[in-house]
Amino acid sequence: MRYLPISLLFLIWACASYPERNNFQSMETSGGSITNPYFSNPKKDYVYKADINLYKKNFSGILILKKLGVQHHRVVFTTELGNTIFDFSFRDGDFRVNHILSEMNKKMVINLLKKDFRTLVTENPSVLNRFASEDRFIFETEMAKWKNYYYTIDRKLEKIVQTKNGKKKVSFIFSSVDAEVAKNIQILHHNIKLSIRLKAI
Amino acid sequence: MRNLIFLLWFTVCSVYAQSEMSAGDARALEAKVKKTANTTETITSSFRQYKHMDFLSNDIESLGKLSFKAPNLVKWEYTEPFAYSVIFEEETLYINNEGNKSDMDIGSNKLFKRLNQLITNSIKGDLFNTDEFHIDYFKKGNDSEVHFAPKDEDFASFIKAFHITFNGNGEVTEVKMLEPSNDYTRIVFTDRKTNQSLPDAVFAH
Repeated sequence: MRYLPISLLFLIWACASYPERNNFQSMETSGGSITNPYFSNPKKDYVYKADINLYKKNFSGILILKKLGVQHHRVVFTTELGNTIFDFSFRDGDFRVNHILSEMNKKMVINLLKKDFRTLVTENPSVLNRFASEDRFIFETEMAKWKNYYYTIDRKLEKIVQTKNGKKKVSFIFSSVDAEVAKNIQILHHNIKLSIRLKAI
Repeated sequence: MRNLIFLLWFTVCSVYAQSEMSAGDARALEAKVKKTANTTETITSSFRQYKHMDFLSNDIESLGKLSFKAPNLVKWEYTEPFAYSVIFEEETLYINNEGNKSDMDIGSNKLFKRLNQLITNSIKGDLFNTDEFHIDYFKKGNDSEVHFAPKDEDFASFIKAFHITFNGNGEVTEVKMLEPSNDYTRIVFTDRKTNQSLPDAVFAH
């Protein structure tokens, strides 16, 4: 019986939303959109040295992102020698695999990459709710039933936290930002041992 | 009319710039390249790599150094804009990624094994195997350009063709790897030195 209140407390906490778990203060204003400016310039080729760690395996290569139109991005991963590993198009909510190495052509792998890169290139998601926490503003958005939280500090997008059932699943961290280019980007999965580190070249 | 003349002039120039080689010249080139390859013990060279994709505003450029030691030891090292090297040694790739060392057994990966062999052979230029490739020969001024299109369908879905440029001495000056989409990687070699002593330490991993 003594444990019941603790269990109950735990149950309530387990059901809590991400903002509740993190003690965000709700702000009254809602609506509008938040901008991710890091892949928004169609004149720029965004080229990164990429290191992918999956469990104990390490892969590296070059990740290329390019905005080709309104809501249209191309995302290509090649080896250092230039051989294409995968080539995706994101256009008006549609997703297309232009090319993928046969060894990687697995639905689970493609879905995982699709979700990560769609989050990365989505430019103006609609805001559902706004919150504040210490010196940051946090914008809640939704993508395919997942809640994404956009953290800004001094009006700069610092990170996106992707959640499911109130739990943190993936973090996208942008750092060394210069002229709306994030020189360093980390994509960290919290439920599987997958991390992607990008360094602008 | 002026446009027509321009078009005609352009076509003539294109034909002049790259014309098909006679069978005799092709045999002579093949013999020369094989002879050069057979007498090559070591190669060191700088290279500049251009990754071209149609949708990009600019080609992605990188710089590096190549070291080769007969029969099949290759070190491919990028120095700019990142530090990355890979040593191809039989069935293993030894990778040094900005100080982080790892190795990859490619024995079980047919594609990488094949790519490894082809890269090793293309450095010497010796891809003249008609069982494996459709081969076309072209003259480009004093240079020769040979197109090798893999016959193996799986491999061709990865690399459609290798275009290798040889100088008058039968040495490789440029390798272009074309993908099925026609995007390509072009590697231009400079400061090539052959048969100079190359310490084993270069290939230490």
